[in-house]
Amino acid sequence: MSPIVELREATKEYRGVAAVREMTFTLERGEVHALLGENGAGKSTLTKMIAGVVRPTRGALFINGAPVVLSSPSEALAQGIAMVYQETSLVPSLTVAQNIYLADSRRFHRLRGIYIAGQQFLQSLNFHVNPTALISELGAGQKQMVEIARAVHHQAQVIIFDEPTATLTPEEKHQFFALVARLKARGVSVVFISHALEEALAIADRITIMRDGEHVVTDHVSAFTRESIVRAMVGRSLSDALYAESGSKKARKAGEKVLSVQNLSMGSMVRNTSFSLFAGQITGVFGLIGSGRTEAAKVIAGVAKRDLFHGGQIRLGGRDVRYRVPRPAVRDGIIYVTEDRKAEGFFETMSIAENIHLGAMAGGQTRSQRVSMEEMRSIAAEWTEALKVRAINSDARVIELSGGNQQKVVIAKALVQKPRLVIFDEPTRGVDVGAIAEIHHIIEGLADAGIAVMVISSYLPEILQLSDRILVCRQGRIVEEFEGHRTDAETIMYAAVH
Amino acid sequence: MRLSGKLGQEQIVFALAVLLCLVFSVTLPGFLTGNNILNLLRSVSILGILGIAMGIVVIGRGIDLSLVSLMAISVGWMLNMAGSGMPLPMALMLALGFSLLVGAINGWLVAYAEIPAIFATLAMGTLIYGFGRYFLIDLEVAYLQGSAEVLSWIGQGSLLGVPVPIYAFALICALGHLFLRYAVAGRYLRAVGDNLAAARITGLPARPVIVQQYVISALIGFCAGIVTAAAVSSMNTRLALSTYVYDVILVVVLGGIGLSGGRGGIRNVIVGTLLIGVLLNGMTILNIQYTLQSVIKGSLLLLAIVADSLLNPRDEQTAQQGDI
Repeated sequence: MSPIVELREATKEYRGVAAVREMTFTLERGEVHALLGENGAGKSTLTKMIAGVVRPTRGALFINGAPVVLSSPSEALAQGIAMVYQETSLVPSLTVAQNIYLADSRRFHRLRGIYIAGQQFLQSLNFHVNPTALISELGAGQKQMVEIARAVHHQAQVIIFDEPTATLTPEEKHQFFALVARLKARGVSVVFISHALEEALAIADRITIMRDGEHVVTDHVSAFTRESIVRAMVGRSLSDALYAESGSKKARKAGEKVLSVQNLSMGSMVRNTSFSLFAGQITGVFGLIGSGRTEAAKVIAGVAKRDLFHGGQIRLGGRDVRYRVPRPAVRDGIIYVTEDRKAEGFFETMSIAENIHLGAMAGGQTRSQRVSMEEMRSIAAEWTEALKVRAINSDARVIELSGGNQQKVVIAKALVQKPRLVIFDEPTRGVDVGAIAEIHHIIEGLADAGIAVMVISSYLPEILQLSDRILVCRQGRIVEEFEGHRTDAETIMYAAVH
Repeated sequence: MRLSGKLGQEQIVFALAVLLCLVFSVTLPGFLTGNNILNLLRSVSILGILGIAMGIVVIGRGIDLSLVSLMAISVGWMLNMAGSGMPLPMALMLALGFSLLVGAINGWLVAYAEIPAIFATLAMGTLIYGFGRYFLIDLEVAYLQGSAEVLSWIGQGSLLGVPVPIYAFALICALGHLFLRYAVAGRYLRAVGDNLAAARITGLPARPVIVQQYVISALIGFCAGIVTAAAVSSMNTRLALSTYVYDVILVVVLGGIGLSGGRGGIRNVIVGTLLIGVLLNGMTILNIQYTLQSVIKGSLLLLAIVADSLLNPRDEQTAQQGDI
């Protein structure tokens, strides 16, 4: 029997640059197929070709053995292929049920009808989502469930997930995996793109690895190990460097107390949180999404809107501070490196040099009211060199870089401001494996240089790898504190979910 | 790889302007004469100055719909005061101060009260017109008389055979360019227009920068008002109610300054102004009536925008090349 989807010798070029080159990919009926590779390896482009979002420049697509040309996602959906995106494609101002039945063939729906049908349908999938809730009120995990429900509702035979678990909490991940198993039992084929190798090893039947737009290997999951996957992804072995046994390193000694937070509160997101940060040490903050970790950090750095701040005390080196905007915090050396670099990290119309130079100007490193081009070039050269930003030159626009290099520019823009305390919020989200190691190296270098560092992450290996001290955040509070090198993943996870 | 990106809207519009020039100079006798070219430039210089003001605000991801209204009322008030015997410097200072104050209020509304710029300045424009007509200016038209008469050279004089308003336009272009390119404040303005959230987090004084852009707009608008009043020896306050401000926006958008902020510069305003100037001049020589001119202007704007979006698609695919 022919595979349900087959892409033969497909190439996709954007403006003459091949994102995917001569790629052959097959998907069997009822299999779970993981697609792995660094950022920029061409995974998204490959799946977009299958889902009708982009058309291959060369090559052909076969569905059930018959050649097809898909020119839009709705044509793909008619063929039973649905794609669930990383950024959700739901309409925020409509309810859950309205979204599920949105692209239905029937033109009119009775609201009551779709709420009842939606309730039953969601229950049949074991999703605890209220069908009458507005999408905008849902968390990331629940939105994902609605997306999946919509795909299932459309009788999709092939469902493609683009990094489905990136925004999910562990419990939600668990449910997601159970769902994938059920979809598989119903004969649905699943393709999923992921950066989490453990997940791929746990739930996939087959794994395909891509690198630089080309096919590297496809095989049964049993043929792979973590190391062999990483090797195939990056073309070199760096797993030792990346996630070394945390016990093998010595914890840094805490320097002076840089920042202490007492009874910080912000609505229902941050409740009575108290903790301290020390110079020359990396404090890891682990918590599930929605546990208030980002919000607490944003209050400290003055990024949160002032009317959200409800009380508590923040002391910076023995002095009470309460920043209403980020500027005075930056001037005092507290820098927040955002988790969402596209929305609030960099300036997309500007070059790498301009971005970094803006950081220097805002941090008061430049005195003159005139922009000096030589100064901009020398600062940019210094920092792109120090952080190994890979680009043709520093006049390249940041938007054109890969995720890892964008993140390095954002970090450079922060470090040029000579911080005393840097708060990294998900520093390696959407960053390719090679760059992750480099960014970790940068973060460790900061702590070694005596700067207080706080790393917020929902990726446990990252927390374990980096932290000298680990704080666990749950429902707006810091609930536990661990010595970084005397704990393990299970203990931390236990504290975070109970 | 941005080969097609090189041919942006600015280039398209510039090519259109050159093309129109060629067509007009072949078909219209008297178009390509020194006199007519100077006349053409003089006629659009005020529109161009206002375009610089609007352009700066739009680059900062705002819009200033009160620009023309404020210009008419503040300069009208100045003429009124000067006409009734006040020394010119005093009248100038008062009117300029009023203008800057209103600009600052605009900025405060947008930056601190966080009202969308389009609503804040729309309301302010209406408010200023009503306030000015009720409290400051008795007659609909304020005449250039009394101590203000010395200003008429700015509008009607010429230097080395070139009318002074063209110099005024050139000067403000140069200052605007220097500001956007070489002043720290100008760099901040572009950053805020590009990404307000990032500017905030980076520690830029985001809100003062927004206030500043409306104050600059008011200042340049005031200069445009002086040139206008000097050129026609009066200021008609009904200008505040006209669609003139939309012509200004036309110039800015036509030149290729994206309404999404952060993109473009003074060059874009110049190119947009030139095209409009050539077009208006040609159509006037051809004796095309005003309503038909509107049709042509509107179509041209749509054409420029469509051509730009065809040549430079801004969809997800090309926007995030790093993410493929």
